[in-house]
Amino acid sequence: MPAIQRVIKPRTKRSKRALEKREPQFIENTKQCLFFHGLKTSEGIRECVKDLHALKSQASLKLQQKNKILPFEDVLPVERLAVKNDSSLFCMATHSKKRPNNIVIGRMFDHHLLDMVELGVENYAPLSEFKNAKVAAGTKPCMVFCGTEFEDVTEFKILKNLLIDFFRGVEAKEIRLQGFEHALQFTVFDGKVFLKSYRILLKKSGTRIPRVELEEIGPSMTLQMRRNRFASNDLRKRSLQQPKQQKANKVKNVRKDPFGTRLGRVHMTKQDIGKLQTRKMKGLKEITKKTKKTRGRVSGDEQMETNE
Amino acid sequence: MEESAVDKVRDILLKAQEEVKAVQVENKEIQLECDLGNLVVTDNNTLVQDTLRNSDECGEYLRSLARDSIQTLITKVWDLPTERIDNAVYVTLPKPSISIPREKKVPVEKPLTKWEQYAKDKGITKRKKEKKVWDEVLKQWVPRYGFRKVQADKEKNWVRVVPENADPYEDQYAKVAEMKKENVAKNEFQRLRNIARNSKVKLPSVGVTGNEFARPKDLLRAAQHAKHATASLGKFQPGLKGEKPSKGRGNKRKSEGSTMDIQQEKKRNIDIFDKIGKPDLNLDAAMHRQVKDDNVEHDRKKKGGKKHLRRSKMGGRHLTRSDHRSIKLGKGIHNNGPKGKGRDAGPGSKGKGKDRASLLQLASKRGATGKIIMKANKRKKFSKR
Repeated sequence: MPAIQRVIKPRTKRSKRALEKREPQFIENTKQCLFFHGLKTSEGIRECVKDLHALKSQASLKLQQKNKILPFEDVLPVERLAVKNDSSLFCMATHSKKRPNNIVIGRMFDHHLLDMVELGVENYAPLSEFKNAKVAAGTKPCMVFCGTEFEDVTEFKILKNLLIDFFRGVEAKEIRLQGFEHALQFTVFDGKVFLKSYRILLKKSGTRIPRVELEEIGPSMTLQMRRNRFASNDLRKRSLQQPKQQKANKVKNVRKDPFGTRLGRVHMTKQDIGKLQTRKMKGLKEITKKTKKTRGRVSGDEQMETNE
Repeated sequence: MEESAVDKVRDILLKAQEEVKAVQVENKEIQLECDLGNLVVTDNNTLVQDTLRNSDECGEYLRSLARDSIQTLITKVWDLPTERIDNAVYVTLPKPSISIPREKKVPVEKPLTKWEQYAKDKGITKRKKEKKVWDEVLKQWVPRYGFRKVQADKEKNWVRVVPENADPYEDQYAKVAEMKKENVAKNEFQRLRNIARNSKVKLPSVGVTGNEFARPKDLLRAAQHAKHATASLGKFQPGLKGEKPSKGRGNKRKSEGSTMDIQQEKKRNIDIFDKIGKPDLNLDAAMHRQVKDDNVEHDRKKKGGKKHLRRSKMGGRHLTRSDHRSIKLGKGIHNNGPKGKGRDAGPGSKGKGKDRASLLQLASKRGATGKIIMKANKRKKFSKR
C-alpha cells in the first residue's frame, strides 16, 4: 500500500480511506471519464455527448452545468475538474461558428494533461435513431480499426491509442463468452474517421466457433480531426512505465484452505449465551407460574392416592 | 438404394463445407492483427475508395469489414483456455500487447521514519499487544487505547493523590491533561520532522519541546543557544560556576586552501562555470504556485467575490484625475515614499499622502510651532538617505 505522505492528516477514517483510494496504486482502477459541456453547445453535440456517456455508462460521470472552459487556450480548469472528480479521461462538447459541433477528447496522467484531440462531428445518427435492442451497460467492446493511416500517420496513431483508452472500459483478465456483445469500428479515410457501433450476434454455425453477424445499434458519426495537443515523448514514456512487480492490494478476511475452498471471516456482534437455544428436554424446561401450579396439583392427587 | 446413399453423403459433405465457410473469413492481403488483451483488431489493408465515397454502399461495406474482423477475433478468443465458474464459461485473456498509459505514477515505497529505520537496524520487531488489559483496581478488562478508554480512566482515577513534595494547591488533573497534550504535540512534531526529513527539507537542529520528556542534552543545547542569542553573540553573558564554555554550537566554515590537487581545482572551476547563467529555479514548485494562484483567482471570480483586495492592501487610495495628470507631466503622484506608521515612515505616510511641502504649508497655516517643521526637515534628511 502506498503511504499518504501528507502534512495535514485526514481527520476521519472515511476521509483517510477516500484519500488512499486516490493515491497511485500498483494495479489501477478503471479510468473514470468525465463528460461536460462548454459555454455554448448545439443540440446535436449535446445528444452526441449524451450517447457517448450512455455507451460508457459505468466508469463515467456527466456534469450538468455549462463550463466556461476553452481547453486549447487554458487546460488548467479541465485538470482541476479531473482532479476534483478523480477521473483521468474527459470528453467535452463545444460549438462555435468557426468550429461547429466540436468534441474534445483527452486523457490525463498524474493529474496533468497527456493527450487532447479536438474532433468535429458530422453526419451524426444518435442511439435513438436505431430502433432495436441495445447492448447491456458496461460491456467491454471489441474494437476494430480499419485504414492504413492508423499505422502510418502519427496523429492518427495517437488517436487510435486514445480511442482504445477511452472506450476499452474494465481491464479484464477473464471474460464470459456471452459477454462479447458490442463492437466499435473506427475507419480512417481521407483524414476522416467513421465511427460505427454494432451489436454482435453469435449464430450457430455447426462448428464449435459461432458465426458472427453484426447489427448496427448506433451512434454513428464521422469525425474530423481539428486541433490537438499531444504529450512530449518524455512524458509519454513516463506514463507508460509499469511497476516492476504488480502487487495486488491486500485482501482482508478472505483465505483459502488446502482444498481450495474460499473461506471468509465475518465479524458480528457479541452473542448472548443466555438466550442460546440448546437441546430441548423436559427436565430443562423453564418453570413458569402456570406449570408450577399444575405440578403442585398433580403431586397433591398422588398424595391422596397413597393415603387411600 | 446405392444412388440415394451417395446423394446423402454428398449432401452431408456439402453441408459441412457450408458450415466451415460460415466461420471462415476471406483471405486478405495483410493479415489482421489482434490484440486479445484489449479486444482490438487492426485491419491494415487498403480500403476500396469508391465504395466509401458512395454514401449508399458505404454502410454495408463498413459492416462487412467489421464482421470479418470480429469473426477473426471471436475465432481466436474461442481457442483460448476456458474455465467454468457458476455455470458460465469464462475465457482467460492474455496480456494486452497495445500499451496504454497509466492513470497515475507508479507508487513509490513509503520511506521509513527515524524509529522504523532504527528498529530495522537493531532488528527490533513489532510485538502485538493485546487490545484489553486487566485492571486490578476496576477488576475488569479495560481497553489499552481508543474507544471507552477515557471512560475507564475516569472511573479508575476518580481521585488523585497529591505527591508528598508537591505543591498542595496544584491541580493534579490539569497536570495530567497537560502531560497528555504535550505527548500528543511531541508525536505530531516527530511526524512532521519525519516528513520533512523524507522530503529533504533542511531543518534547524534546535527544537526542544520543553516538556518532561526533553533530554538533558537537548536542554543544554537550548540553553547554549539562548545564551548565544544576544547582540554580542553571548560574549558578556555571565556563566554559572564551573560551567564549561560551549563548543560545537555550529559548523565553522572552513576556508579552502588556495592550492590543491589539479583535478580538484579543475572540478571546482568547472562547477562554478556550470552554475553561471543558469537560473536557480525549482520548476515544479513554480508551476504548482502558478496553478494555485490561478485556482484562487478563478474561484474568486466564480464566486462573484471581490475582484480587488482592500484599498489599503492594494497600496492606498485610487488615483484621481489630477494624479494622472501629474504623472503625465512627470511630477509624480502624492504618496510615493516608503509606507508605514512608525518612526521610519517616509514623507508620504502620514496625513494621507501629503508630501513634505504640503506638510510645511499646513504647519505655517495653522501657526504651529517649529517642531513640525523640524520634523519635516528630519524627514527630508531621511528621504535623502
